[in-house]
Amino acid sequence: MAHFYESTLIDTVDGFQCKSYASEHPPGYVIVKPKYIPTDAIQGEGLKFRFLFEKCLIRFNQFAKKAELQKYVEQFRKTFPDYIYDCPIHKNWFYVVPLNKIKTIHDPKHGLQELLKVPIKDCDPYLVLVRELVDFLTKSGVSSSNLGITHSTLLGNYTFGKSDIDIVIYGKDNGWKILNYLKTASHEKLKWKTDAEWATYYQEHKTSESSHFTEQEYVKHMIRKKYEGTFGGTVFTLFTTEEPEETWFKWGEETYEPLGLATITAKVNDHSSSHVRPGFYGVEHAQYIETEPNIKINPIIPLKKVVTYSIPFVQQALNGETIKACGLLELVTPKNKQHEQYYRLVVGYFDAYLGERREKEFIKVV
Amino acid sequence: MHFYESSIITTKDGLHCQVYANEHPTNSILVKPKYIPTEKVESSAMQYRFISGKKMNRLNLWADKSGLKSYIEHFKEKYPQYIFNSTVHGSNHENGRLIFSVPIDYIERVYFPRTGLKELMSMPVEALDDHLKTVHDFVQFLINSGLNLHDLGITYSTLMGHYASKVSDINIVVYGKEKFWALMNYLETAKHPSLRWKTQDEWLDFYKKRNRYSICDKDLFIKSASRKKSEGFFNETLFVIFAAEREEEVHARWGSEKYVDKGLITVQGTVADDFHSVVRPGYYEITDSSTPNVTQITFHSRDYCMLAKKGEKMEACGILEEVIPAHGKSYHRVVVGYFDSYLNERREKEFIRLIT
Repeated sequence: MAHFYESTLIDTVDGFQCKSYASEHPPGYVIVKPKYIPTDAIQGEGLKFRFLFEKCLIRFNQFAKKAELQKYVEQFRKTFPDYIYDCPIHKNWFYVVPLNKIKTIHDPKHGLQELLKVPIKDCDPYLVLVRELVDFLTKSGVSSSNLGITHSTLLGNYTFGKSDIDIVIYGKDNGWKILNYLKTASHEKLKWKTDAEWATYYQEHKTSESSHFTEQEYVKHMIRKKYEGTFGGTVFTLFTTEEPEETWFKWGEETYEPLGLATITAKVNDHSSSHVRPGFYGVEHAQYIETEPNIKINPIIPLKKVVTYSIPFVQQALNGETIKACGLLELVTPKNKQHEQYYRLVVGYFDAYLGERREKEFIKVV
Repeated sequence: MHFYESSIITTKDGLHCQVYANEHPTNSILVKPKYIPTEKVESSAMQYRFISGKKMNRLNLWADKSGLKSYIEHFKEKYPQYIFNSTVHGSNHENGRLIFSVPIDYIERVYFPRTGLKELMSMPVEALDDHLKTVHDFVQFLINSGLNLHDLGITYSTLMGHYASKVSDINIVVYGKEKFWALMNYLETAKHPSLRWKTQDEWLDFYKKRNRYSICDKDLFIKSASRKKSEGFFNETLFVIFAAEREEEVHARWGSEKYVDKGLITVQGTVADDFHSVVRPGYYEITDSSTPNVTQITFHSRDYCMLAKKGEKMEACGILEEVIPAHGKSYHRVVVGYFDSYLNERREKEFIRLIT
């Protein structure tokens, strides 16, 4: 197992639903984020419930209160040990679905093609809107065969007026093509948040990520991203996922030595993979602003990448811009001895949500 | 074999089926396919739905007849495993009874209404959306009748999760005929600010949709329909309450009787017992039949549930069958609504109606 598209929903034989969280995976597993978990697996305060497909399920939330989240993850580890992968090459852990635990894969691409075959007269207002949005996105030059639908749009448990429309774009170039198209394209149903609306959003949705930004900084970062808007009054989100031949790393070709928390500044020289998960910013001229005391940095080894698993930090910076970032510093050793070691900074590993890194990690343009 | 009616089965090849009876042949569950993927067989005569990431046809037995007939023929070719060849109905499915069933080996998942409702009622109320909140409140109201939560279930779109608020019905299953009747008695007088019954106009809409004007006097239809307490509105959402038979309540075990088709007939009689008219298949026991020896009017369509009460006169047109039990005396019954009746002139001819 190497490639499996990110943003794909998987039902497991143990009755929970997950979303793939990367496009490169360890052999025998798919890296996922658990999405809905049976109530007998996790109990506690602060969890949201959903009635889905005959079952009362809990929505797994990485932003639950930290002490509570630690308890949930502990329960999850005990109940579903097979779904935690202690990764030797990262010296870290991931939520995974072992391949033999997959019950159903909900293919976004196939789902959209099926939807497009349904006569419009038989589509409800929500699905009509999805169709119109897809039609509009294809004006960018990206074919509908390179698009997919996911989450409730795909599974059919949407609520018109409440549920988002979640679109998957297959291929990094296709992703940029659509995101660039949306910078100037107009449609009577398309609406982006204004500066004032982003400012209000900032004030009303304080998160650990946004806490690193002033209101003005936050607005400046968000206003130029085109992965989330409204169409006909319904929120839509665009997720770009990598094709097998274009993943920016191959599983097992590098090993990663976690060194500790670090804050750096660096100049972005490659943002071409900053719209996928995990995404990265190629950087140069990195400077260490702050590091944990025990970290010993070899000044000869360059810091080349800032990696994010966290969606709020995708498309955060463009080539030529200088970023400041705080995350887990790793020493990367390529398997191929001809390639040199380098450092990278990673934001949003699963374990970050359980410790102090949750509040500390960020990526911003300075 | 007993298996509760109104449960939902998804098959390994993606069909969504409603369990259509409470008594089943060994190793196969009698169903009505409800949503069928369009990969192998497709018809524009039927409505399309996008469900579970698939373009599906919704099997509508009231669709244009030639389209329906052609669709069923193709379905038989592409999905022969779901056509049940009954040895108790006296003829093979090529020319005789059309019966759909899902062999046990083809079941992907069973959605149990009782389990689903138990799960739903265990949810914190604040986590429920408008539709589920209405279901929750309605069930709380029904429980005031003295029924337990365990006696009830929720089915169709609410159970499967593809409901639409303000559009989808609430479909409640009551386990046990006595429990169901107890609930109907309760609803005769029970009040709730969110509860209202269908108006005459709303019943007439239904009457028009199903072509009932050609076979049933409007006033008698209104009389028989509007006294039903199994359909109404709660918080302006249509609800329908069904009964499912417990194992010990089933009239005849599969295979304990054989049925001989004697042709189409119209019969009149007086209802001697309507107790079993709340389930599917259900029946009325009749006396004073216009055709000697007919003692039962059986139906496979919920439209005919609770149509007539004990002592009332009714008329039915359907297939006359001689019922030959493995033990005991044979008798005759009239059966309305076998699936094959929708494919020919019987769709228009068959009926059950109140005549006084």
